[in-house]
Amino acid sequence: MSAFWAVLWKDLATEWRSRERFAAMTVFSLLTVLVLYFAAPPSLDVTRNYYVPGLLWVAYLFAGVLGMNRAFAAELENDALSALALAPVDRGFLFLGKATASFLILAAVQALTAVFFALAFALDLWPVALELAAIGALGALGIACAGTLLSAIAVRTRARELMLPLLLLPLLAPVLIGAVNATTELLASGSLPWPPVQLLLVADGVYAIVSFLCFEYVLDE
Amino acid sequence: MSAALARARGLAKRFGPLTALHPLDLDLAAGETLALLGPNGAGKSTLLRLLAGLARPSTGTLAIGDASASRPARRAAVGFVAHATFLYAQLTARENLELAAKLYGVADPRARAAALIEAHDLGAVAERAAGALSRGMAQRVSIARALVHEPRLLLLDEPFSGLDPRAAERLAERLAAQRGPERAAVLVTHELARAAQLATRALVLVRGRARWLAASALASTPALEAAYRDAVAALERTP
Repeated sequence: MSAFWAVLWKDLATEWRSRERFAAMTVFSLLTVLVLYFAAPPSLDVTRNYYVPGLLWVAYLFAGVLGMNRAFAAELENDALSALALAPVDRGFLFLGKATASFLILAAVQALTAVFFALAFALDLWPVALELAAIGALGALGIACAGTLLSAIAVRTRARELMLPLLLLPLLAPVLIGAVNATTELLASGSLPWPPVQLLLVADGVYAIVSFLCFEYVLDE
Repeated sequence: MSAALARARGLAKRFGPLTALHPLDLDLAAGETLALLGPNGAGKSTLLRLLAGLARPSTGTLAIGDASASRPARRAAVGFVAHATFLYAQLTARENLELAAKLYGVADPRARAAALIEAHDLGAVAERAAGALSRGMAQRVSIARALVHEPRLLLLDEPFSGLDPRAAERLAERLAAQRGPERAAVLVTHELARAAQLATRALVLVRGRARWLAASALASTPALEAAYRDAVAALERTP
């Protein structure tokens, strides 16, 4: 477990000092909401238009992909990825450390975006804030788990910035379907719908377990 | 000499149609320092990365320490100084050493990092970001990083590059001091004088093919230069 904490601390410390991922993801996410705000007619009732929560998740998803593309940026410099691969630990714990850091960064971006979204569309999200945070967290977990594994694969390829979205976006279909359906129903009814949350839980569980087990082989040349 | 620390049989590495390393048998005993010599692109770094466990062999077997040891246990026996420094540019030199100590499960990472900073004369740059260090300083931190867990097998890929003469001499002294009945080292270098100074055996690689040099070749730098030239010429004639 010490490898998990070491990698988590390292990723958060390097991100805190550079703020590269957080800044890029936040700007992208907020711009998406802004475009949506200007495109929407003034009479739009967000809670009754099912595509609006979907667009919120488009912002989350692409911000997530943007962030995952940078998940191993620090490891590219000075071949620090090899240094990680040399560590005499179960590499699954290295995966957990990196995925947790990505999850925390993405969750922070989601929180900021949700606040901006609520302000832009004059929505009172307080009554459903906890449920919305739970859905966001489950979605972020899926993106972070699958994204960390695929980012570790893509980082060794020549066209890595193109490769990751190509691999990741199809794989995230269950997460996106579950998260969009859950958010739409939550905003419409005010209660947390169970079936899409179940889909999210299953997808997250599968991605986490498979990534934990596969990371040992992904870091080999 | 004591038991073999590294034992390879038919160890080979291919990248697609390119054979980077032809089948090689290698036994490295504790107490030995093996010099890996050869021109650029000979397969020296490939062999080091195989020994480090960073790459999997295409064919053949490789055991580091106990043959039945798990992969993490094999990695724990190895310290690697590569071309790249393995340092995180955003972290300070001290933080890089502490991180490595934590990843290698060292009991007191902070104390170990402090001891390495003291031993490698890194006090002046300890709190500086690794990305802001000169090549020579970064190399010294990288060498300290490789020694953080006191590895039994030390792999050094051109460790003297980027070091000023005084730092290079100190490193050579430190490597000589590291020799012990429990440890071995593999040194890749183009500096034949360093190889003659430090190595107990020498292997020449050319286009992935290997030839062992006689022990007498390491008696002096001129002797090693002559033996090296002959070995390279012979290997270049090999189809």
